[in-house]
Amino acid sequence: MTDLWVALLSLFAVWTGWRVFRVDSMVRASFSLMLSFIAVGAIGVLLSAPYIGVATVFMMAVEMMVMAIFMVMFMMNPAGLNPMVMVHQHRLSIGAGVVAALSLGAAVLFSRPPEDAVRAEADVVAELGHELLGPSMLIFETAGVTLLATMVGAVILSSRQGRFGAADEGSRPPGLSDGGAPAGRQPEGGGGHHHHHHHGGHG
Amino acid sequence: MAVIGDTLAARAPAAVFAAIGPGRQAGTERLFARRDMRRASTPRDASILLVAGDIPSEASEALARVHDQIPPPRATVQWQGEDPDRIVARVMETLKDLRVSATGEENRLPDAPPNEWKGIGPHGQGGKGMMGGTPYGRPMAMTGPDIRDGLQLDRYSARIGPFAPMLPPGLTLEVTLQGDVICDVSIDSPPFAQPADADAPDLCLARVLRLLGLDRAADRVLGGKRPGALWVQGAISRGLGRIDGTDMRDRVAAWRKGEAAPLGPFDLPRLLIGAEWSEAMLILASLPPSALIRAARAPEAA
Amino acid sequence: MTVLLLVLAVCATLLAGVVLAALLDRALPELAGTLSRQRIETEAPDRMNRDLAPAFYLALAAVGLSVVPFAPGLALIDSPVGVVIWGTCEALTIIVVFLHGWSPNAPFPLIGAYRYAAIGLPVMLPSMFVLIAAALPAESLSLVAIVDSQREVWNVLRQPLGLPLFLVVALTLTLRGPMDFADAADIAGGTSAEDSGAGRALWQVARLAMLVSVSAVAATVFLGGPLGPVLPGPVWLWLKTAALMAVLVWLGNRVARTTPSRMLTILWVVLLPLSCADLVISGVVAL
Repeated sequence: MTDLWVALLSLFAVWTGWRVFRVDSMVRASFSLMLSFIAVGAIGVLLSAPYIGVATVFMMAVEMMVMAIFMVMFMMNPAGLNPMVMVHQHRLSIGAGVVAALSLGAAVLFSRPPEDAVRAEADVVAELGHELLGPSMLIFETAGVTLLATMVGAVILSSRQGRFGAADEGSRPPGLSDGGAPAGRQPEGGGGHHHHHHHGGHG
Repeated sequence: MAVIGDTLAARAPAAVFAAIGPGRQAGTERLFARRDMRRASTPRDASILLVAGDIPSEASEALARVHDQIPPPRATVQWQGEDPDRIVARVMETLKDLRVSATGEENRLPDAPPNEWKGIGPHGQGGKGMMGGTPYGRPMAMTGPDIRDGLQLDRYSARIGPFAPMLPPGLTLEVTLQGDVICDVSIDSPPFAQPADADAPDLCLARVLRLLGLDRAADRVLGGKRPGALWVQGAISRGLGRIDGTDMRDRVAAWRKGEAAPLGPFDLPRLLIGAEWSEAMLILASLPPSALIRAARAPEAA
Repeated sequence: MTVLLLVLAVCATLLAGVVLAALLDRALPELAGTLSRQRIETEAPDRMNRDLAPAFYLALAAVGLSVVPFAPGLALIDSPVGVVIWGTCEALTIIVVFLHGWSPNAPFPLIGAYRYAAIGLPVMLPSMFVLIAAALPAESLSLVAIVDSQREVWNVLRQPLGLPLFLVVALTLTLRGPMDFADAADIAGGTSAEDSGAGRALWQVARLAMLVSVSAVAATVFLGGPLGPVLPGPVWLWLKTAALMAVLVWLGNRVARTTPSRMLTILWVVLLPLSCADLVISGVVAL
């Protein structure tokens, strides 16, 4: 029974994955991809990994939402009226696809997956938690904090509104006294760009 | 089941979309404070089009378009200053007739696309590239610099009005939006003239309350009671719609005390450009109709 | 047999809850009126997504309700990660509302759609924090275990910040009052501005169904769910759910809605740190 469900969900995941490249709108493409991931998440649940399976669906829902928003923001009617092809660089992508399929297929066929089935009474979620916050804690926490810092940094760098004025106009901190010289270290030479970075560090 | 549905539907307040003409704003807004009347926020939610007063001929095509957006079965009720009780009775009568007849009024305009869906390219597509242009004769949004961060984002231009429920009756704006930030606005037609009764503090306060999602509080205010709502002043940002040193919060505070909030002349487009759509609608609702009409007519005279 | 009973209980709760919610909203006659009208279309809509959005919204409400235990130890989906399943329903709700606004191919629904996505994403964070905080004393992500952990004292007392924060999440998920940025008045009803007839009625029903589910989850996580003296478990759950529904309807009718940008600031600057504090305090207390 589980085998049948896994097979059906795999087919659904492949079909929705293929639809990503066949639909003519970025919103539909994003959410086709999400359906594909939901099927993969459901397979995870069937394979006794309930937390990873459900969390995959959760994360992918949020991620695809963000992707769709950006698509609408940059192209309000992406491919609604104008033609849009979701596939480009045909030769390269066909080559890459064939190589990826062959190597993943070879990995499945030639590797030896562990054969001991999960014990029925095993508390898999708790075990996963102990692994994540035990032996593997350093690697997961490092990756997590690095990603977060990257996101916050990217937003700050791309924002025009700085603490001391617009970034492209050369922001200057206010003086210590009314109308006095700007506080903080004085930048050498012009260029609003430099101002921003110098004082950003002090802010 | 169908019988229960019909009996229930018969007890529903009449869902009415109001097209308000010159001089009829105050009367119409008071009409919708009644329990048995509900002002639909979109024609698609209504079954009756209430035409209050004489709609000027420039707006008649827009009125026909609004009429055709009301899902059948539909009907139009004209209101020429009769007693409110009589007009409500007529609306109820019309609703009862609609439930018997299956179709109601026909479309006023031909139900045809403004441009044919006929492609020009070899694959039948409407245009070139992924963005911009006018594929199939329909203008597409194109990127332009964002007025806040200078990023290249889509600009969408549309004409909104004269019967849009969040705008004063008659006002038609040509807006260019990026997301919901207004980056350009011009006045296509000023609001219809309204006598001083439209400036009444309770009406002005009720308009703001409806925008804040407090329909029941607005009805209570029009019934002469306290609004009974939380965080009304706090929900309005400080500095929103500042004219001559008073902002929207001050004006709403005055209206809550039952005082008028007169305003000097101001430049309407400048007040709206750079605001987000919801802020702009709040700003418009915070201007007494008389001041708004004067400001909207000023560029016309110039 | 038990499974059949639980399926029945979920369906009956959803149905009765929708009727109760419509009565609280005084919207029952209106729904019947909308249903009897015909549907008219916009030009070139995304028909598939337009028809699927209300159906998915309803389905998410049903899935969300089926992780709720109707009696101690008895839920239709008795998963070790029940809280995460509910969180997934929340995240997918944002997508459903977005699709509902996207599909009519019209400006106001689209504005409502991306406003809602912008508000919905930061609302997910406090939601996850308060739910995980509630899972800490239970030492499990299962809603059944969370109910069991409240035998002595309910989470609403142990974690006083949790329920108020979750009510904000509930208002967002049910497009209601101060958090209704998708279907607001300044955009002519937002994502439902172009809905008419049966499609409009179904969307409203789905909103009410989500109100039932989110109230039931809140009752389970913070008010002990089916726990209570004398009366049987399901009755306690229904009573608590109905009470929370009434609170949410009252808040929706009484609290003003600010502008989206201001609400974003409030979400990131006030609610997120508060929910963080809730998580930290609950963690220390649970130790």
